[in-house]
Amino acid sequence: MSALWRRLPTLSLAAYYWLFVLFLFVPLFAIVVFAFNASPIPTLPIHALSMQWFTRAFDDAELTGALLRSAAIGAATGLAATALGIMASIGLSARRLRLRAVVVAVILLPLVVPYISLAVGMLIVLQELSLELSLWAVFIGHVVIALPFAVLVVFPRLRSLDPAMVEAARDLGAGEIAAFNLVTLPLLVPSLISSFLICFITSFDEFAIASFLAPPGQPTYPVFLYAGSRTPGLLPELIAIGSLIIVFSIVVVVVAEGGRRYIERRLVGEVEA
Amino acid sequence: MVTLRLRVGRGVFIVPPLVVVLLVLIGPVILLSLYSLNLRTNIPFAPTGLSYDNWQDFLRGPGNPFRNRFVYSMEFTLVVSIATTVAAYPLAYYLAFHARRFRYTLLLLLIVPFFTSYLLRVVAWSDVMLNENGVVNQVLWAIGVQPRGVGVGWLLYSNFSIFLVLFYSWIPFVALPIFAVLENMDRSLIEAARDLGAGPLGAFARVTFPLSLPGVISAFVFVLIPTTGEFITPLYVGGPYNQLFGNEIQAFFGNSPNWNYGAVLAISLIAVVLVLTLLFGRFLNTDLREGVATA
Repeated sequence: MSALWRRLPTLSLAAYYWLFVLFLFVPLFAIVVFAFNASPIPTLPIHALSMQWFTRAFDDAELTGALLRSAAIGAATGLAATALGIMASIGLSARRLRLRAVVVAVILLPLVVPYISLAVGMLIVLQELSLELSLWAVFIGHVVIALPFAVLVVFPRLRSLDPAMVEAARDLGAGEIAAFNLVTLPLLVPSLISSFLICFITSFDEFAIASFLAPPGQPTYPVFLYAGSRTPGLLPELIAIGSLIIVFSIVVVVVAEGGRRYIERRLVGEVEA
Repeated sequence: MVTLRLRVGRGVFIVPPLVVVLLVLIGPVILLSLYSLNLRTNIPFAPTGLSYDNWQDFLRGPGNPFRNRFVYSMEFTLVVSIATTVAAYPLAYYLAFHARRFRYTLLLLLIVPFFTSYLLRVVAWSDVMLNENGVVNQVLWAIGVQPRGVGVGWLLYSNFSIFLVLFYSWIPFVALPIFAVLENMDRSLIEAARDLGAGPLGAFARVTFPLSLPGVISAFVFVLIPTTGEFITPLYVGGPYNQLFGNEIQAFFGNSPNWNYGAVLAISLIAVVLVLTLLFGRFLNTDLREGVATA
Protein backbone atom coordinates (compact mmCIF):
# COMPACT_ATOMS: atom_id res chain seq x y z
CA MET A 1 0.00 0.00 0.00
CA SER A 2 2.70 2.47 0.99
CA ALA A 3 4.76 1.45 -2.05
CA LEU A 4 1.80 2.29 -4.25
CA TRP A 5 1.33 5.56 -2.38
CA ARG A 6 4.94 6.48 -3.01
CA ARG A 7 4.58 5.73 -6.72
CA LEU A 8 1.35 7.70 -7.02
CA PRO A 9 2.97 10.93 -8.36
CA THR A 10 4.81 9.04 -11.10
CA LEU A 11 1.74 7.00 -11.98
CA SER A 12 -0.59 9.98 -12.18
CA LEU A 13 1.92 12.00 -14.23
CA ALA A 14 2.35 9.02 -16.55
CA ALA A 15 -1.43 8.71 -16.89
CA TYR A 16 -1.64 12.44 -17.66
CA TYR A 17 1.09 12.10 -20.31
CA TRP A 18 -0.53 9.12 -22.03
CA LEU A 19 -3.97 10.79 -22.00
CA PHE A 20 -2.41 13.73 -23.84
CA VAL A 21 -0.72 11.44 -26.33
CA LEU A 22 -4.15 9.89 -26.94
CA PHE A 23 -5.71 13.35 -27.33
CA LEU A 24 -2.97 14.34 -29.79
CA PHE A 25 -3.17 11.22 -31.93
CA VAL A 26 -6.92 10.50 -32.03
CA PRO A 27 -7.73 13.17 -34.67
CA LEU A 28 -4.77 12.03 -36.81
CA PHE A 29 -5.79 8.40 -36.38
CA ALA A 30 -9.39 9.29 -37.27
CA ILE A 31 -8.25 10.86 -40.57
CA VAL A 32 -6.28 7.72 -41.45
CA VAL A 33 -9.21 5.42 -40.58
CA PHE A 34 -11.81 7.45 -42.47
CA ALA A 35 -9.58 7.48 -45.54
CA PHE A 36 -10.54 3.80 -45.94
CA ASN A 37 -14.23 4.34 -45.22
CA ALA A 38 -16.42 3.25 -48.14
CA SER A 39 -19.12 5.78 -47.26
CA PRO A 40 -18.68 9.33 -48.60
CA ILE A 41 -19.60 10.75 -45.16
CA PRO A 42 -16.85 10.47 -42.56
CA THR A 43 -18.87 9.11 -39.66
CA LEU A 44 -18.97 6.12 -37.33
CA PRO A 45 -19.77 3.26 -37.44
CA ILE A 46 -17.76 2.25 -40.47
CA HIS A 47 -19.69 -0.42 -42.41
CA ALA A 48 -17.32 -1.17 -45.27
CA LEU A 49 -13.73 -0.43 -46.20
CA SER A 50 -12.57 0.75 -49.58
CA MET A 51 -9.63 2.22 -51.42
CA GLN A 52 -11.85 4.19 -53.78
CA TRP A 53 -11.04 7.64 -52.33
CA PHE A 54 -7.34 7.15 -52.94
CA THR A 55 -7.98 6.18 -56.59
CA ARG A 56 -10.37 9.08 -57.06
CA ALA A 57 -8.01 11.53 -55.37
CA PHE A 58 -5.15 10.58 -57.68
CA ASP A 59 -7.47 10.86 -60.70
CA ASP A 60 -8.51 14.35 -59.63
CA ALA A 61 -6.29 16.62 -61.71
CA GLU A 62 -7.10 19.72 -59.65
CA LEU A 63 -6.14 18.01 -56.40
CA THR A 64 -2.94 16.44 -57.72
CA GLY A 65 -2.09 19.74 -59.44
CA ALA A 66 -2.40 21.58 -56.12
CA LEU A 67 -0.27 18.95 -54.39
CA LEU A 68 2.45 19.17 -57.04
CA ARG A 69 2.43 22.98 -56.89
CA SER A 70 2.87 22.89 -53.11
CA ALA A 71 5.55 20.21 -53.29
CA ALA A 72 7.49 22.22 -55.88
CA ILE A 73 7.22 25.49 -53.94
CA GLY A 74 8.07 23.62 -50.73
CA ALA A 75 11.19 22.03 -52.22
CA ALA A 76 12.31 25.32 -53.77
CA THR A 77 11.70 27.08 -50.44
CA GLY A 78 13.64 24.35 -48.61
CA LEU A 79 16.65 24.79 -50.91
CA ALA A 80 16.61 28.59 -51.09
CA ALA A 81 15.96 29.16 -47.37
CA THR A 82 18.62 26.62 -46.36
CA ALA A 83 21.16 28.22 -48.73
CA LEU A 84 20.40 31.67 -47.30
CA GLY A 85 20.44 30.09 -43.82
CA ILE A 86 23.99 28.80 -44.37
CA MET A 87 25.09 32.27 -45.50
CA ALA A 88 23.42 33.92 -42.53
CA SER A 89 24.98 31.39 -40.15
CA ILE A 90 28.47 31.99 -41.56
CA GLY A 91 27.91 35.73 -41.29
CA LEU A 92 26.66 35.45 -37.70
CA SER A 93 29.62 33.27 -36.76
CA ALA A 94 32.02 36.12 -37.50
CA ARG A 95 33.63 37.15 -34.25
CA ARG A 96 33.00 40.79 -34.95
CA LEU A 97 29.86 41.83 -36.71
CA ARG A 98 28.61 45.38 -36.81
CA LEU A 99 25.19 45.87 -35.22
CA ARG A 100 24.95 42.16 -34.39
CA ALA A 101 21.84 42.62 -32.24
CA VAL A 102 20.06 44.46 -35.06
CA VAL A 103 21.14 41.90 -37.66
CA VAL A 104 19.89 39.01 -35.51
CA ALA A 105 16.61 40.82 -34.87
CA VAL A 106 16.04 41.40 -38.60
CA ILE A 107 16.86 37.79 -39.55
CA LEU A 108 14.46 36.48 -36.88
CA LEU A 109 11.78 39.10 -37.54
CA PRO A 110 9.73 36.85 -39.88
CA LEU A 111 9.15 34.53 -36.89
CA VAL A 112 6.95 37.11 -35.20
CA VAL A 113 5.47 39.18 -38.04
CA PRO A 114 1.92 37.87 -38.46
CA TYR A 115 1.60 36.01 -41.76
CA ILE A 116 -1.75 37.68 -42.42
CA SER A 117 -0.18 41.17 -42.27
CA LEU A 118 2.74 40.07 -44.44
CA ALA A 119 0.31 38.48 -46.92
CA VAL A 120 -1.85 41.57 -47.38
CA GLY A 121 1.27 43.75 -47.48
CA MET A 122 2.77 41.65 -50.26
CA LEU A 123 -0.56 41.81 -52.09
CA ILE A 124 -0.30 45.61 -52.07
CA VAL A 125 3.33 45.46 -53.23
CA LEU A 126 2.34 43.35 -56.25
CA GLN A 127 -0.50 45.73 -57.04
CA GLU A 128 1.73 48.83 -56.77
CA LEU A 129 4.39 47.24 -58.99
CA SER A 130 1.63 46.24 -61.45
CA LEU A 131 2.65 42.61 -61.09
CA GLU A 132 0.23 39.74 -61.52
CA LEU A 133 -0.45 37.32 -58.68
CA SER A 134 2.01 34.48 -59.11
CA LEU A 135 3.45 31.37 -57.51
CA TRP A 136 6.80 33.19 -57.59
CA ALA A 137 5.41 35.70 -55.12
CA VAL A 138 4.24 32.82 -52.91
CA PHE A 139 7.72 31.29 -53.13
CA ILE A 140 9.44 34.56 -52.14
CA GLY A 141 7.11 35.00 -49.17
CA HIS A 142 7.74 31.41 -48.08
CA VAL A 143 11.53 31.77 -48.31
CA VAL A 144 11.39 34.75 -45.95
CA ILE A 145 9.16 33.08 -43.35
CA ALA A 146 11.23 29.86 -43.52
CA LEU A 147 14.64 31.57 -43.26
CA PRO A 148 14.60 32.02 -39.44
CA PHE A 149 13.97 28.29 -39.02
CA ALA A 150 16.92 27.49 -41.28
CA VAL A 151 19.19 29.80 -39.27
CA LEU A 152 17.94 28.42 -35.93
CA VAL A 153 18.78 24.89 -37.12
CA VAL A 154 22.07 25.50 -38.97
CA PHE A 155 23.74 28.15 -36.80
CA PRO A 156 23.92 26.19 -33.50
CA ARG A 157 25.39 23.25 -35.42
CA LEU A 158 27.97 25.48 -37.13
CA ARG A 159 28.93 27.00 -33.80
CA SER A 160 29.31 23.63 -32.10
CA LEU A 161 31.88 22.44 -34.66
CA ASP A 162 35.40 22.10 -33.37
CA PRO A 163 37.44 24.92 -34.98
CA ALA A 164 40.52 22.68 -34.71
CA MET A 165 39.14 20.60 -37.61
CA VAL A 166 39.02 23.59 -39.94
CA GLU A 167 42.43 24.75 -38.69
CA ALA A 168 43.84 21.28 -39.41
CA ALA A 169 42.54 21.48 -42.98
CA ARG A 170 44.04 24.94 -43.37
CA ASP A 171 47.39 23.75 -41.97
CA LEU A 172 47.36 20.92 -44.47
CA GLY A 173 47.14 23.43 -47.27
CA ALA A 174 43.41 23.83 -47.97
CA GLY A 175 42.28 27.32 -48.89
CA GLU A 176 39.46 28.85 -46.90
CA ILE A 177 36.84 27.86 -49.49
CA ALA A 178 38.26 24.34 -49.85
CA ALA A 179 38.33 23.94 -46.06
CA PHE A 180 34.68 24.98 -45.91
CA ASN A 181 33.65 22.60 -48.70
CA LEU A 182 35.72 19.65 -47.48
CA VAL A 183 35.32 19.97 -43.71
CA THR A 184 32.61 22.35 -42.54
CA LEU A 185 29.92 21.57 -45.10
CA PRO A 186 29.96 17.75 -44.66
CA LEU A 187 29.76 18.20 -40.90
CA LEU A 188 26.73 20.46 -41.37
CA VAL A 189 24.84 17.91 -43.47
CA PRO A 190 22.55 16.59 -40.69
CA SER A 191 21.46 20.13 -39.82
CA LEU A 192 21.02 20.99 -43.50
CA ILE A 193 18.65 18.05 -43.93
CA SER A 194 16.66 19.13 -40.84
CA SER A 195 16.61 22.68 -42.15
CA PHE A 196 15.36 21.58 -45.58
CA LEU A 197 12.58 19.47 -44.02
CA ILE A 198 11.41 22.19 -41.63
CA CYS A 199 11.41 24.82 -44.39
CA PHE A 200 9.60 22.41 -46.72
CA ILE A 201 6.89 21.76 -44.11
CA THR A 202 6.57 25.49 -43.35
CA SER A 203 5.93 26.23 -47.02
CA PHE A 204 3.84 23.15 -47.78
CA ASP A 205 1.45 24.02 -44.95
CA GLU A 206 1.30 27.80 -45.38
CA PHE A 207 -2.14 29.23 -46.03
CA ALA A 208 -2.21 33.01 -45.45
CA ILE A 209 0.36 34.12 -48.02
CA ALA A 210 -0.66 31.48 -50.57
CA SER A 211 -4.35 32.35 -50.27
CA PHE A 212 -3.66 35.99 -51.18
CA LEU A 213 -0.85 35.61 -53.72
CA ALA A 214 -1.55 32.35 -55.59
CA PRO A 215 -3.30 33.16 -58.89
CA PRO A 216 -6.88 31.97 -59.34
CA GLY A 217 -6.89 28.50 -60.91
CA GLN A 218 -3.45 27.73 -59.47
CA PRO A 219 -4.15 27.03 -55.80
CA THR A 220 -1.51 25.51 -53.56
CA TYR A 221 -2.57 22.47 -51.57
CA PRO A 222 -3.64 24.41 -48.42
CA VAL A 223 -5.69 26.83 -50.51
CA PHE A 224 -7.31 23.93 -52.35
CA LEU A 225 -7.88 22.15 -49.03
CA TYR A 226 -9.72 25.17 -47.66
CA ALA A 227 -12.01 25.46 -50.68
CA GLY A 228 -12.42 21.69 -50.93
CA SER A 229 -13.32 21.08 -47.29
CA ARG A 230 -16.36 23.28 -47.91
CA THR A 231 -17.43 20.95 -50.73
CA PRO A 232 -18.91 17.76 -49.21
CA GLY A 233 -18.28 15.74 -52.38
CA LEU A 234 -14.55 16.46 -52.21
CA LEU A 235 -14.07 15.77 -48.51
CA PRO A 236 -13.39 11.99 -48.76
CA GLU A 237 -10.64 12.58 -51.34
CA LEU A 238 -9.08 15.26 -49.14
CA ILE A 239 -9.18 12.90 -46.17
CA ALA A 240 -7.51 10.16 -48.24
CA ILE A 241 -4.68 12.50 -49.30
CA GLY A 242 -4.54 13.89 -45.77
CA SER A 243 -4.00 10.42 -44.35
CA LEU A 244 -1.06 9.91 -46.72
CA ILE A 245 0.46 13.26 -45.72
CA ILE A 246 0.04 12.46 -42.01
CA VAL A 247 1.62 9.01 -42.26
CA PHE A 248 4.38 10.30 -44.54
CA SER A 249 5.30 13.24 -42.28
CA ILE A 250 5.33 11.07 -39.16
CA VAL A 251 7.65 8.59 -40.87
CA VAL A 252 9.93 11.39 -42.13
CA VAL A 253 10.16 13.06 -38.71
CA VAL A 254 10.89 9.79 -36.90
CA VAL A 255 13.47 8.68 -39.48
CA ALA A 256 15.09 12.14 -39.60
CA GLU A 257 15.30 12.37 -35.81
CA GLY A 258 16.61 8.81 -35.50
CA GLY A 259 19.12 9.48 -38.28
CA ARG A 260 20.22 12.76 -36.73
CA ARG A 261 20.85 11.10 -33.36
CA TYR A 262 22.75 8.27 -35.07
CA ILE A 263 24.92 10.54 -37.25
CA GLU A 264 25.69 13.03 -34.49
CA ARG A 265 26.63 10.20 -32.12
CA ARG A 266 28.96 8.79 -34.79
CA LEU A 267 30.50 12.17 -35.58
CA VAL A 268 31.07 12.90 -31.90
CA GLY A 269 32.57 9.42 -31.55
CA GLU A 270 34.96 10.03 -34.44
CA VAL A 271 36.09 13.37 -33.10
CA GLU A 272 36.68 11.97 -29.63
CA ALA A 273 38.43 8.84 -30.92
CA MET B 1 46.41 41.39 -40.93
CA VAL B 2 45.30 38.27 -42.76
CA THR B 3 43.00 37.21 -39.92
CA LEU B 4 41.43 40.65 -39.87
CA ARG B 5 40.61 40.31 -43.56
CA LEU B 6 39.09 36.87 -42.96
CA ARG B 7 36.82 38.17 -40.24
CA VAL B 8 35.52 40.93 -42.46
CA GLY B 9 35.07 38.39 -45.25
CA ARG B 10 32.97 36.09 -43.14
CA GLY B 11 30.63 38.81 -41.93
CA VAL B 12 29.87 39.70 -45.55
CA PHE B 13 27.86 36.48 -45.95
CA ILE B 14 25.11 37.99 -43.80
CA VAL B 15 24.34 40.55 -46.52
CA PRO B 16 22.27 38.49 -49.03
CA PRO B 17 19.87 36.96 -46.46
CA LEU B 18 19.61 40.31 -44.71
CA VAL B 19 18.71 42.10 -47.95
CA VAL B 20 16.10 39.49 -48.87
CA VAL B 21 14.38 39.75 -45.48
CA LEU B 22 14.52 43.55 -45.45
CA LEU B 23 13.10 43.89 -48.98
CA VAL B 24 10.28 41.41 -48.45
CA LEU B 25 9.31 42.70 -44.99
CA ILE B 26 9.90 46.42 -45.35
CA GLY B 27 8.25 46.85 -48.76
CA PRO B 28 4.89 45.64 -47.45
CA VAL B 29 5.19 47.63 -44.20
CA ILE B 30 5.92 50.88 -46.05
CA LEU B 31 3.05 50.40 -48.48
CA LEU B 32 0.65 49.35 -45.69
CA SER B 33 1.60 52.57 -43.87
CA LEU B 34 0.93 54.66 -46.98
CA TYR B 35 -2.45 53.01 -47.43
CA SER B 36 -3.35 53.41 -43.77
CA LEU B 37 -2.70 57.18 -44.11
CA ASN B 38 -4.77 57.34 -47.31
CA LEU B 39 -1.75 58.37 -49.38
CA ARG B 40 -2.58 55.52 -51.74
CA THR B 41 -5.86 53.71 -52.20
CA ASN B 42 -7.31 50.70 -53.99
CA ILE B 43 -10.76 52.27 -54.28
CA PRO B 44 -11.33 53.53 -57.84
CA PHE B 45 -11.71 57.30 -58.22
CA ALA B 46 -11.38 57.86 -54.43
CA PRO B 47 -9.26 60.91 -53.63
CA THR B 48 -5.92 60.33 -51.93
CA GLY B 49 -4.16 62.64 -49.51
CA LEU B 50 -2.76 62.49 -46.02
CA SER B 51 -5.56 61.62 -43.64
CA TYR B 52 -5.59 60.16 -40.15
CA ASP B 53 -9.33 59.40 -40.29
CA ASN B 54 -8.97 55.61 -40.36
CA TRP B 55 -6.50 55.65 -37.49
CA GLN B 56 -8.73 58.04 -35.51
CA ASP B 57 -11.71 55.81 -36.13
CA PHE B 58 -9.90 52.62 -35.11
CA LEU B 59 -8.13 54.02 -32.05
CA ARG B 60 -10.62 56.59 -30.79
CA GLY B 61 -14.00 55.99 -32.44
CA PRO B 62 -16.58 55.27 -29.72
CA GLY B 63 -17.46 51.57 -29.65
CA ASN B 64 -15.41 50.87 -32.78
CA PRO B 65 -16.25 47.24 -33.65
CA PHE B 66 -12.74 46.47 -34.90
CA ARG B 67 -11.09 47.79 -31.75
CA ASN B 68 -13.56 45.74 -29.70
CA ARG B 69 -12.69 42.70 -31.80
CA PHE B 70 -9.02 43.39 -31.18
CA VAL B 71 -9.47 43.56 -27.40
CA TYR B 72 -11.57 40.41 -27.52
CA SER B 73 -8.90 38.61 -29.58
CA MET B 74 -6.17 39.58 -27.14
CA GLU B 75 -8.23 38.28 -24.22
CA PHE B 76 -8.89 35.05 -26.08
CA THR B 77 -5.19 34.73 -26.94
CA LEU B 78 -4.27 35.27 -23.29
CA VAL B 79 -6.65 32.52 -22.14
CA VAL B 80 -5.29 30.09 -24.76
CA SER B 81 -1.68 30.90 -23.85
CA ILE B 82 -2.21 30.46 -20.11
CA ALA B 83 -4.23 27.26 -20.47
CA THR B 84 -1.71 25.72 -22.86
CA THR B 85 1.26 26.57 -20.66
CA VAL B 86 -0.41 25.26 -17.50
CA ALA B 87 -1.43 22.01 -19.21
CA ALA B 88 2.01 21.52 -20.77
CA TYR B 89 3.92 21.89 -17.52
CA PRO B 90 3.08 18.44 -16.06
CA LEU B 91 3.94 16.87 -19.43
CA ALA B 92 7.39 18.45 -19.40
CA TYR B 93 7.80 17.62 -15.72
CA TYR B 94 6.93 13.98 -16.30
CA LEU B 95 9.41 13.71 -19.16
CA ALA B 96 12.25 15.49 -17.35
CA PHE B 97 11.94 13.87 -13.92
CA HIS B 98 10.01 10.61 -14.22
CA ALA B 99 10.38 9.20 -17.71
CA ARG B 100 14.08 8.34 -17.22
CA ARG B 101 15.74 6.44 -20.08
CA PHE B 102 12.98 6.85 -22.65
CA ARG B 103 12.39 10.55 -22.13
CA TYR B 104 13.69 11.68 -25.53
CA THR B 105 11.62 9.04 -27.30
CA LEU B 106 8.52 10.04 -25.32
CA LEU B 107 9.27 13.70 -26.09
CA LEU B 108 9.42 12.85 -29.80
CA LEU B 109 6.05 11.07 -29.48
CA LEU B 110 4.60 14.26 -28.04
CA ILE B 111 6.10 16.50 -30.72
CA VAL B 112 5.45 14.38 -33.81
CA PRO B 113 1.87 15.67 -34.28
CA PHE B 114 3.28 19.19 -34.48
CA PHE B 115 5.11 18.23 -37.68
CA THR B 116 2.05 16.88 -39.44
CA SER B 117 0.22 19.56 -41.38
CA TYR B 118 -1.38 22.22 -39.16
CA LEU B 119 -4.21 22.67 -41.67
CA LEU B 120 -4.94 18.95 -41.72
CA ARG B 121 -5.19 18.89 -37.94
CA VAL B 122 -7.67 21.75 -38.08
CA VAL B 123 -9.65 19.93 -40.79
CA ALA B 124 -9.56 16.76 -38.67
CA TRP B 125 -11.31 18.63 -35.86
CA SER B 126 -13.75 20.53 -38.06
CA ASP B 127 -14.79 17.74 -40.44
CA VAL B 128 -14.18 14.48 -38.59
CA MET B 129 -14.12 15.02 -34.84
CA LEU B 130 -16.46 17.87 -33.81
CA ASN B 131 -19.01 17.95 -36.63
CA GLU B 132 -22.66 16.85 -36.29
CA ASN B 133 -21.92 13.18 -37.11
CA GLY B 134 -18.35 13.43 -35.90
CA VAL B 135 -16.39 11.12 -33.65
CA VAL B 136 -17.00 13.14 -30.46
CA ASN B 137 -20.79 13.19 -30.87
CA GLN B 138 -20.78 9.50 -31.82
CA VAL B 139 -18.88 8.63 -28.67
CA LEU B 140 -21.22 10.74 -26.53
CA TRP B 141 -24.20 8.94 -28.12
CA ALA B 142 -22.62 5.54 -27.60
CA ILE B 143 -22.04 6.09 -23.89
CA GLY B 144 -25.48 7.61 -23.48
CA VAL B 145 -24.42 11.09 -22.37
CA GLN B 146 -26.30 12.69 -25.23
CA PRO B 147 -29.58 11.50 -26.86
CA ARG B 148 -28.73 9.71 -30.13
CA GLY B 149 -28.93 11.90 -33.21
CA VAL B 150 -28.70 15.18 -31.31
CA GLY B 151 -25.28 16.84 -31.62
CA VAL B 152 -23.91 18.97 -28.81
CA GLY B 153 -24.64 22.55 -29.91
CA TRP B 154 -21.44 24.26 -28.78
CA LEU B 155 -19.06 21.61 -30.06
CA LEU B 156 -18.33 23.33 -33.38
CA TYR B 157 -18.43 26.94 -34.69
CA SER B 158 -18.04 28.14 -31.12
CA ASN B 159 -15.46 29.67 -28.80
CA PHE B 160 -15.03 26.17 -27.41
CA SER B 161 -13.95 24.74 -30.76
CA ILE B 162 -11.54 27.63 -31.46
CA PHE B 163 -10.04 27.21 -28.01
CA LEU B 164 -9.79 23.43 -28.32
CA VAL B 165 -8.09 23.46 -31.72
CA LEU B 166 -5.57 26.15 -30.72
CA PHE B 167 -4.85 24.31 -27.47
CA TYR B 168 -4.44 21.07 -29.40
CA SER B 169 -2.13 22.65 -31.97
CA TRP B 170 0.16 24.34 -29.48
CA ILE B 171 0.55 21.89 -26.63
CA PRO B 172 3.36 19.71 -28.06
CA PHE B 173 5.37 22.77 -28.98
CA VAL B 174 4.82 24.48 -25.63
CA ALA B 175 6.05 21.48 -23.64
CA LEU B 176 9.46 21.83 -25.34
CA PRO B 177 10.94 24.96 -23.68
CA ILE B 178 9.65 23.87 -20.25
CA PHE B 179 11.20 20.44 -20.76
CA ALA B 180 14.50 22.03 -21.82
CA VAL B 181 14.70 24.09 -18.61
CA LEU B 182 13.71 21.21 -16.32
CA GLU B 183 16.09 18.82 -18.08
CA ASN B 184 19.06 21.15 -17.63
CA MET B 185 18.23 22.06 -14.05
CA ASP B 186 20.86 21.35 -11.40
CA ARG B 187 19.29 18.40 -9.58
CA SER B 188 21.51 18.84 -6.55
CA LEU B 189 19.57 22.00 -5.65
CA ILE B 190 16.38 19.96 -5.31
CA GLU B 191 18.21 17.33 -3.27
CA ALA B 192 19.60 20.07 -1.05
CA ALA B 193 16.08 21.39 -0.42
CA ARG B 194 14.92 17.87 0.49
CA ASP B 195 17.92 17.33 2.77
CA LEU B 196 17.12 20.57 4.54
CA GLY B 197 13.67 19.26 5.35
CA ALA B 198 11.42 20.39 2.49
CA GLY B 199 8.71 17.94 1.49
CA PRO B 200 8.34 17.00 -2.18
CA LEU B 201 5.70 19.70 -2.72
CA GLY B 202 7.69 22.27 -0.78
CA ALA B 203 10.82 21.53 -2.80
CA PHE B 204 8.80 21.87 -5.99
CA ALA B 205 7.15 25.13 -4.97
CA ARG B 206 10.30 26.77 -3.63
CA VAL B 207 13.07 25.37 -5.86
CA THR B 208 11.99 23.51 -8.99
CA PHE B 209 9.15 25.78 -10.07
CA PRO B 210 10.94 29.13 -9.58
CA LEU B 211 13.97 27.78 -11.44
CA SER B 212 11.77 26.64 -14.32
CA LEU B 213 10.11 30.04 -14.76
CA PRO B 214 12.25 31.14 -17.74
CA GLY B 215 11.04 28.05 -19.63
CA VAL B 216 7.45 28.69 -18.56
CA ILE B 217 7.58 32.28 -19.75
CA SER B 218 9.11 31.38 -23.10
CA ALA B 219 6.46 28.66 -23.55
CA PHE B 220 3.79 31.26 -22.81
CA VAL B 221 5.29 33.69 -25.31
CA PHE B 222 5.63 30.93 -27.92
CA VAL B 223 1.82 30.74 -27.95
CA LEU B 224 1.02 34.37 -27.24
CA ILE B 225 2.82 35.91 -30.23
CA PRO B 226 1.57 33.70 -33.07
CA THR B 227 -1.95 33.37 -31.66
CA THR B 228 -2.31 37.17 -31.68
CA GLY B 229 -2.52 37.05 -35.49
CA GLU B 230 -4.33 33.72 -35.74
CA PHE B 231 -7.05 33.49 -38.37
CA ILE B 232 -7.02 29.98 -39.84
CA THR B 233 -8.55 28.16 -36.88
CA PRO B 234 -11.49 30.61 -36.50
CA LEU B 235 -11.98 30.39 -40.27
CA TYR B 236 -12.51 26.62 -40.06
CA VAL B 237 -14.06 26.01 -36.66
CA GLY B 238 -15.36 29.44 -35.62
CA GLY B 239 -18.83 30.80 -36.27
CA PRO B 240 -19.75 34.20 -37.73
CA TYR B 241 -19.67 35.85 -34.28
CA ASN B 242 -16.41 34.57 -32.85
CA GLN B 243 -13.90 35.33 -35.55
CA LEU B 244 -10.62 36.83 -34.35
CA PHE B 245 -8.79 40.02 -35.30
CA GLY B 246 -6.81 38.28 -38.06
CA ASN B 247 -10.09 37.42 -39.78
CA GLU B 248 -11.07 41.11 -39.82
CA ILE B 249 -7.86 41.92 -41.69
CA GLN B 250 -8.49 39.08 -44.10
CA ALA B 251 -12.00 40.39 -44.81
CA PHE B 252 -10.75 43.90 -45.67
CA PHE B 253 -8.48 42.43 -48.32
CA GLY B 254 -10.89 39.74 -49.46
CA ASN B 255 -14.58 39.95 -50.25
CA SER B 256 -15.23 43.56 -49.21
CA PRO B 257 -12.00 45.28 -50.13
CA ASN B 258 -11.07 48.44 -48.29
CA TRP B 259 -7.30 48.29 -48.22
CA ASN B 260 -6.99 51.64 -46.48
CA TYR B 261 -8.86 50.54 -43.38
CA GLY B 262 -7.45 47.02 -43.58
CA ALA B 263 -3.94 48.50 -43.61
CA VAL B 264 -4.66 50.23 -40.28
CA LEU B 265 -5.56 46.87 -38.76
CA ALA B 266 -2.61 45.05 -40.37
CA ILE B 267 -0.11 47.67 -39.12
CA SER B 268 -1.68 47.62 -35.65
CA LEU B 269 -1.29 43.85 -35.49
CA ILE B 270 2.38 44.09 -36.49
CA ALA B 271 2.91 46.84 -33.89
CA VAL B 272 1.34 44.78 -31.10
CA VAL B 273 3.40 41.72 -31.96
CA LEU B 274 6.60 43.80 -32.07
CA VAL B 275 5.82 45.29 -28.65
CA LEU B 276 5.20 41.80 -27.24
CA THR B 277 8.47 40.65 -28.79
CA LEU B 278 10.37 43.56 -27.26
CA LEU B 279 8.80 42.89 -23.86
CA PHE B 280 9.38 39.16 -23.86
CA GLY B 281 12.14 38.73 -26.42
CA ARG B 282 14.85 38.07 -23.84
CA PHE B 283 13.00 34.94 -22.73
CA LEU B 284 13.20 33.54 -26.25
CA ASN B 285 16.75 32.31 -25.93
CA THR B 286 17.89 31.77 -29.47
CA ASP B 287 21.64 31.43 -29.02
CA LEU B 288 22.26 33.76 -31.94
CA ARG B 289 23.54 36.68 -29.94
CA GLU B 290 27.20 35.71 -29.93
CA GLY B 291 29.53 34.61 -32.68
CA VAL B 292 31.77 31.58 -32.47
CA ALA B 293 33.85 32.38 -29.43
CA THR B 294 36.76 30.24 -30.52
CA ALA B 295 36.82 31.10 -34.23
